[in-house]
Amino acid sequence: MDDSQQISLNKVSVAYPGAERNQLSDLTIKTPAHQIIGILGPSNSGKTTLCRLLSGIIPQVMRADVQGEYRLGTLNPTANWAEINRFIGYVFQNPADQLSGMAETVATEMAFSLVNLGQSASAIDAKVRALARQFQLIDQLNQNPATLSGGQMQRLAIACALVTDPEVLIFDDPTSQMDPVGTSQFFAWLKNQHDKTIFVTSTNVDALCNTVDSLWVLNAGQLVASGTPRKIFNQPAKSELIPAPVVFNLASQMGWALPDGDYPVTQAELMEATGHER
Amino acid sequence: MSVEINQLHFTYQNSNFGLQIPALSLDKGLTAIVGQNGAGKSTFFKLLMGLLPLQDGNISINGKGSHELTGRARLTEIGILFQNPDDQLFNATVKKEVTWSARQITRDRAQVDQIVESALTKVELLDKADENPFDLSLSDRKLLAFATLLATNPQTYLMDEPMIALDWHSQTIVLHILKQLADEGRQIIVSTHDMDLVAHSFPRVITFDHGAMVFDGTPTALFGSPAILAQAGLLPPRIMQLCALLGDTNVYLTTEDYVSKHQA
Repeated sequence: MDDSQQISLNKVSVAYPGAERNQLSDLTIKTPAHQIIGILGPSNSGKTTLCRLLSGIIPQVMRADVQGEYRLGTLNPTANWAEINRFIGYVFQNPADQLSGMAETVATEMAFSLVNLGQSASAIDAKVRALARQFQLIDQLNQNPATLSGGQMQRLAIACALVTDPEVLIFDDPTSQMDPVGTSQFFAWLKNQHDKTIFVTSTNVDALCNTVDSLWVLNAGQLVASGTPRKIFNQPAKSELIPAPVVFNLASQMGWALPDGDYPVTQAELMEATGHER
Repeated sequence: MSVEINQLHFTYQNSNFGLQIPALSLDKGLTAIVGQNGAGKSTFFKLLMGLLPLQDGNISINGKGSHELTGRARLTEIGILFQNPDDQLFNATVKKEVTWSARQITRDRAQVDQIVESALTKVELLDKADENPFDLSLSDRKLLAFATLLATNPQTYLMDEPMIALDWHSQTIVLHILKQLADEGRQIIVSTHDMDLVAHSFPRVITFDHGAMVFDGTPTALFGSPAILAQAGLLPPRIMQLCALLGDTNVYLTTEDYVSKHQA
């Protein structure tokens, strides 16, 4: 495949200033862009650092020592952030870190990037309303962002990242504070985002398995596995680091295997393994 | 050990949101508070915590009016864990953070040291005692905030979303401690969106919807009531969602529960 369609990391290491050890060590992977990649790992495994690196926030905004090579298609995010920043939407782990704190209403917070791009008031209004509908914020448009609940704030952070329609999206645990319905709506929406390159971390293993094309598993700063969710959880040396999805636990205990002997990790695979029509 | 609420009515200024609780009595042990974003969980917590003014009705905590409790008396009665740990951490090192809390209980240096070591050991942060809290991961900062509660060892633990931002191992640590505290007769009131957690670990669950209490009972009763789940915008535990796909709408609280009922 043409390099312009690839995400490639070549022996990438990241160390924060003053830190004794690398936060990420020797990451090497080459994989197609325009897919949804889930990033899984225990605490301190480097998930957030990887998100920062993938977006170019490290080292462009946050200082860190980066070794190795990272390319996102033809772009070199670690070197040319101004160029790539336009293409990237980033949702922080803690939504309060992301909001400007300057906007008095949800609507103006969402409009922030569009105003900066000099778009017309009517275009901004249309875009803001469409996103507010998509992420259940229509009733909150005139509310102060500081008064939102945790889940609403997280939905606002997502809407703000999407407002410029970026080609690359990076979500660092975007649903941690959302209610179950909000979470399932988010992942259903995410699954339908085609032609974008999307990275998402979450502790919700079930939702990730149902949504992503591939998983990267981190432990102690190293990439210890990558592949489809089904392959990751069906490996004989399945890591103890990550709990398997409920689907896998259920199917493996009940002996519900797929034709090739793998146990299902998604709802669709569960239906297949148990002979149910979708 | 109890929280008693009577005729509670609360409304925010410039907002049409209101919380109404005619009567509610919370005993010792584990109680989960669930509901959609914006259902009133955090408002309920802030009223219990005394962070919002009591407008109408009353709340008594272990026999005392909640808004009469101040200073140290409050700390030994109620421990508060905020959703965002950064709202409650302010010291230069992990150890100092917990020491500050322990010193609210005793000024005896040896006792303080012992409390701090015990709390940090429980949350597995002892080896990070000299680090700056803000160099820790979000998950560890949350554990640290929890350790400050353990240091004051209150009768009542009010925890707003204690599991979010925790990785899996840390969730296990916190759940283990909560169960231990409940066994010791402490009162633990937890708001959560994690229905799997509610199903496998909480004997009592209270559901809010649009500022009103719409359910108070066992997880088995809640997850066996599709009408209440739909009204409150909740989903059953994941195992039940999967079973529903397979045409089985019975209540199962855990995967093990399902497996044990279906294996010959």
